[in-house]
Amino acid sequence: MRSLFLQIVAVSAINLKSIPQRFWLSLSTVIAIALVVMVLLSFLAMSNGFRRTLEGSGSNEVAVVLRGGSQAEINSALTREQIRLLEDAPGIARNPEGKPLASPELYLIVDGIKRASNTKANLPLRGIGQEGAAIRRNIKLIEGRMFNPGANEIVVGKGIVSEFSGFELGKTVNFGSSPWTVVGIFDADGTVFESEIWADLPVVQSLFKRNNYFQTMRARLQSPATLAALKNYSDGDPRLKLDVKSEAEYFADQASQTSDLIQKLGWPLAIAMALGALAGALNTMYSAVAGRTVEIATLRAIGFGVLPAFFGTLVESLVLAALGGLIGALATFLIFNGFTTSTLGASFTQVVFHFTLSPALIAQAVVLALVIGLIGGIFPAIRAARTPIVAGLQGS
Amino acid sequence: MNDLYLIRKNLFRKKLRAWLMIGSIFIAFGIFGVLAGFEKAFNAGQDTAAADRLVTVNKINFTQPLPYAYFNRVRAVEGVREVTHANWFGGYFQDPKNFIIVLAVEPTTYMTLYGNEMDFTPEMRQAFVRDRAGALVGETLATKYGWKVGDRVPIASNIFSQKAGGRIWDVNIVGIFKNKVPQMDTNFMIFQYDYFNETRSFGTDMIGWLVLRTASPDANDKVSKTIDAMFANSTAETSTDTEKAFNKAFLAQLGNIALIVTLVVSAAFVTILMIVGNTMVMAVRERTREIGVLKALGFSGPRILRLILGESIALALIGGLSGLAIAALGATQLRVSLSAFVPGLAVTPDIFVIGVVLMIVLGVLTGLVPALNAMRLKTAVALGRS
Repeated sequence: MRSLFLQIVAVSAINLKSIPQRFWLSLSTVIAIALVVMVLLSFLAMSNGFRRTLEGSGSNEVAVVLRGGSQAEINSALTREQIRLLEDAPGIARNPEGKPLASPELYLIVDGIKRASNTKANLPLRGIGQEGAAIRRNIKLIEGRMFNPGANEIVVGKGIVSEFSGFELGKTVNFGSSPWTVVGIFDADGTVFESEIWADLPVVQSLFKRNNYFQTMRARLQSPATLAALKNYSDGDPRLKLDVKSEAEYFADQASQTSDLIQKLGWPLAIAMALGALAGALNTMYSAVAGRTVEIATLRAIGFGVLPAFFGTLVESLVLAALGGLIGALATFLIFNGFTTSTLGASFTQVVFHFTLSPALIAQAVVLALVIGLIGGIFPAIRAARTPIVAGLQGS
Repeated sequence: MNDLYLIRKNLFRKKLRAWLMIGSIFIAFGIFGVLAGFEKAFNAGQDTAAADRLVTVNKINFTQPLPYAYFNRVRAVEGVREVTHANWFGGYFQDPKNFIIVLAVEPTTYMTLYGNEMDFTPEMRQAFVRDRAGALVGETLATKYGWKVGDRVPIASNIFSQKAGGRIWDVNIVGIFKNKVPQMDTNFMIFQYDYFNETRSFGTDMIGWLVLRTASPDANDKVSKTIDAMFANSTAETSTDTEKAFNKAFLAQLGNIALIVTLVVSAAFVTILMIVGNTMVMAVRERTREIGVLKALGFSGPRILRLILGESIALALIGGLSGLAIAALGATQLRVSLSAFVPGLAVTPDIFVIGVVLMIVLGVLTGLVPALNAMRLKTAVALGRS
């Protein structure tokens, strides 16, 4: 048993050392596999980055209330009476003065200019109530200050500043005929709120002619468990009958569509390309075996078994594939990881996100590379094992 | 024994190797065909945009409404031949997941403005104008849900609700229209604005956007400036653009699809270029002695070059053409399931032409090095090499 193992190690070593003889062919296999891995990983990183941005945005301690069946904030509408009723609802946390930590909000779409394409893009302008920023725990102003109540002032997420032009601190932005001054830039811990523009709710209502019009309400819950109480309260009152969700749930629903779509595009492409690379790998390994006929026959003649010839070839193929996989993963990491871009999300507004690789994704890609190596090596390995000693020694 | 015979024999001398190379070329061109078709379908909105059509939207953003009065005011602007207006209804059928594109439109002007793209028959026009609750459904959408003329279907909105309560409008399908140009997708439904406007609970007398036809494309600039100036400093300022520019900006919102497609296709091509190129070099080197024999028999250098280039081009064409064929087949299969996202997915003739050019380029590139080597080979050296 031990000698068999030693034989396999010896033959594998000989094979690996002979790779330089087929340098260009081996290199093309490695690069082909690296490209497959890059294509797969960039799609997966895109999908993952988008999902993380949205999923990370939702808190379990915040409830979002929407009109029944409206699915996205942009479609929702709530009346002042409903807001008033909701503010008295059970389950909502209160500040020391006894006021509910709730924020009625208006979610409008305004135009911004996307830097990447220099074209108009939909940006969300959110009119938030006094408690709006406090309800979301991860908001930090990194430049400037919060807007003053009653003023035409906006604070913008840092994603807005980086991806869209004209939102630097102190600049004035026109939405229709009303001018707004950027007074602050906030960090929202990589969440979707970094792609939003915030202003004082009453100012937005009046300048956009939406007086007494609300779309959603966000409220901080006493604890995640009190969401049920809020739901029951809404279901029990015929004037409400609203959709009450935790913010985490709301964003998870929104994330799934786009992120699934990107994945559904990425995997078939990568598998198709993997088949192409597989043809390359098979080619390389068959040539390797063909070039080694005499060598294999010689080894067999001096007492090596069939298995070392088989495993030697397989190991060579797997090493080339692993090398390709690692190069591909490294290249994707260096080129694409953290790459910032934006696309239309479920709310019909731009969501700024970063390509995000994770060890799990890299593992998936390396497995794909190894599968190519395994299949690409196994058939040539069988041929190597079957090389007849006499014919092999005569050369072909 | 002509050259074609030699090429064929050489190509398949090692059958497995030939098929593996054809396999990888096949896949690369399959990917190219599907992705190019995808990108083309995706950008179809720009191709179908008429040069003399403009779109007027609220300057804040196109999702913000405009007052109904703008319809008549824009109609009076000099250089405007025809105006219509449309409203996004946010439609779905039965379940919110069954999203459908529904527009509330002014029937007569809408059908005039889009009469070159969609086939609105005279009977359809009449029936649609006459029935307040009438709706015209595009062929693709009608097929998807099995709707027929005469059906009464409930369409729900995720934005609007009825004054009478509920968010379902019942409409009568009075016609099913086809497209006149293949790029134009018919995966949508139109119904009467008046019916929608009088029954909705909010937003009354507001419209979504205006579409207008100018006297000629040369008038576009002047007309759009006049319109936007007319509403400047009002409560609803406008932004007027050509339909093409508007569609282009909208697609750019999704991301740089063209760049993604280019990168993936390039990756696939680099892969086969390397694999096939290296294999060709190897395959020709194995034949050195044979080439020496051919030369000794009187084959000229250029003829040898042609033989080897012919071989690599034949390889690219066999793999490439079958790859494009499978892409065309795949596109027809995917067309229905992707119709909401990329309507009219197909491998069009121009994609096919580009594909063939790429095959020849690939064939030349992969065959050039070994072919030149073989051409320059000295007969004596070739015969001496084992």
